[in-house]
Amino acid sequence: MIGWLAAHPWQGVIVAPFLGAAVAMAIPHARLSWAAALLALIGAAFIAADASLRSVAPHPADGASMFSAPLLAVLAALCAFAGGGALREMRASVAPFAMALALCIAGGWTFALLSADWIGLALGVETAWLASAALVALAEVKRGALNGALRMLASGGVAAALMLVGIGFVARATSSTEIAALLNADNAALCIAGLVVVLIALALKAGLAPLHVWAGAAFGSTGALASMFLGVVGLTGALALMVRVGAAAAAAPQLATGVEAMLAALGAASILIGSVQAMGAANVRRLAAYAFASQAGCVLLSVSLGSPAGFAAALVQMFALAAAMLALLGATAATRDASLQALDGLGRRHPVAGVAVTVGALSLMGAPLTIGFLGRWRLIEAAVGAGWWWVAGIALLASLAAVFYGGRLIERVYFRRAASVATLDKDPWRVLIAPTLAAAIFAIGLGVEPSVLLEASARAAAHMFGGAP
Amino acid sequence: MTSAALLSGLALAVALVVGGAVAALTAANAMKKIAALMLAFVGAALSLALLGAPGGAILAVVAIAFAHTAIGVSIAVRLQEAYGGVETGELDAADEEDEPREPET
Repeated sequence: MIGWLAAHPWQGVIVAPFLGAAVAMAIPHARLSWAAALLALIGAAFIAADASLRSVAPHPADGASMFSAPLLAVLAALCAFAGGGALREMRASVAPFAMALALCIAGGWTFALLSADWIGLALGVETAWLASAALVALAEVKRGALNGALRMLASGGVAAALMLVGIGFVARATSSTEIAALLNADNAALCIAGLVVVLIALALKAGLAPLHVWAGAAFGSTGALASMFLGVVGLTGALALMVRVGAAAAAAPQLATGVEAMLAALGAASILIGSVQAMGAANVRRLAAYAFASQAGCVLLSVSLGSPAGFAAALVQMFALAAAMLALLGATAATRDASLQALDGLGRRHPVAGVAVTVGALSLMGAPLTIGFLGRWRLIEAAVGAGWWWVAGIALLASLAAVFYGGRLIERVYFRRAASVATLDKDPWRVLIAPTLAAAIFAIGLGVEPSVLLEASARAAAHMFGGAP
Repeated sequence: MTSAALLSGLALAVALVVGGAVAALTAANAMKKIAALMLAFVGAALSLALLGAPGGAILAVVAIAFAHTAIGVSIAVRLQEAYGGVETGELDAADEEDEPREPET
């Protein structure tokens, strides 16, 4: 068993969550089921981190998976740990099914990220997406979550049909269903058309504006467990997949121009629309989803530069964004209320959650000494290096918008008194806020000493583009 | 297959996907949305078959369509229980009422 895992670590990373899901569902006790799910995800995270450190690439020339899969596995384990406190929101009989669905989300996105061919990618994406929709419906705290789940199902189904058609075009153009065959595309125009359709479908699932029709309803009404797995693991997984496909296309000279133009347009639109929506949001989870759309636009802009430096910048920003999302969504789990006024006076009532919200907001702004600053700096550096000054301008605009919506969160946490309706966050399971605090510590720690992250992103870029970044 | 036949077949498949997608996003009833999704998946399967994709890809479409239907019907049943209907206009109106207004500060 150990020998097989050492030889095929990435298969182990895929199998562990699904195996854990089966076990979690079979255990009728909520806490035991949670413990089994947590063990499976910790195991997957350990195997993924080990494989990545040993530079065992899942496929030749696929640095994106080598970076993103361990990140996703660690995020899933942290979300599962924090999710233990969210089990009280649902009936005990429902909790094992919710944990199983959460594991399917992690397993599905990991499978899609590590898949060598398009069919596996589509199956992984749909497994994760349908599990997400079911979890949103199952973990409802308001009936609006069911409406959100219906929107997820309808828009996600449309995206699935489009993605399959796009995959058909790409497979025809490359005479193969292998993703690596993009480098040998015979019919560049057909291949670009297919890739554009696939990327649009993935953008919908990554909650990128203006395709995020499902996000407001789903995030606004569902419970803490669903919002963490959907917002941290799901959105990051979909974004990582976009980075992977975008970078694979950018590495193929005949496809690069068309795909990069599409990514740049989508990224710029997502920054502008997502920023405006985040500034107007009255619910922390919705605000986090719209902020994700805005910040993910910066990630796409980085990929659209088509250079190893741009790709490395995209990975750093993706890491920063995932940490900020975990900090924000984990803190809302501690308050049991996702409305903005629930943050009032949080710094006094729950200092750890208050610090997490503050660090998450500062990282989204790109404030110095946070990992968000490093990501934004690397993007601007790569954009100026490529002569794309407008990209640098839009990235600064995203930071400016984040000062407004992030500043609003910090003002609520430290400069307002708690409303009487929002003082119910006493909880014996407070230790479960630890992953949220860990995300905040990562956001600051790696902002101050980023060499490990920079080295990992540079190594992934070298793998992807076959040279030094 | 001649290129003209291939093109007309592809046009039909893409029309099915686009028609199904538009209907799924705009239909005013949850069950109609699910039915429209099936139409889109039929178009996707047809286009994959015409483009010469392997049998595994067609099987994947069938599996994905089945999973969407199963989860979609489950959600529709829960919607009927929670809201007393599956008309999207009524669901949105009920959600508007449920959403607490932020107090003036």
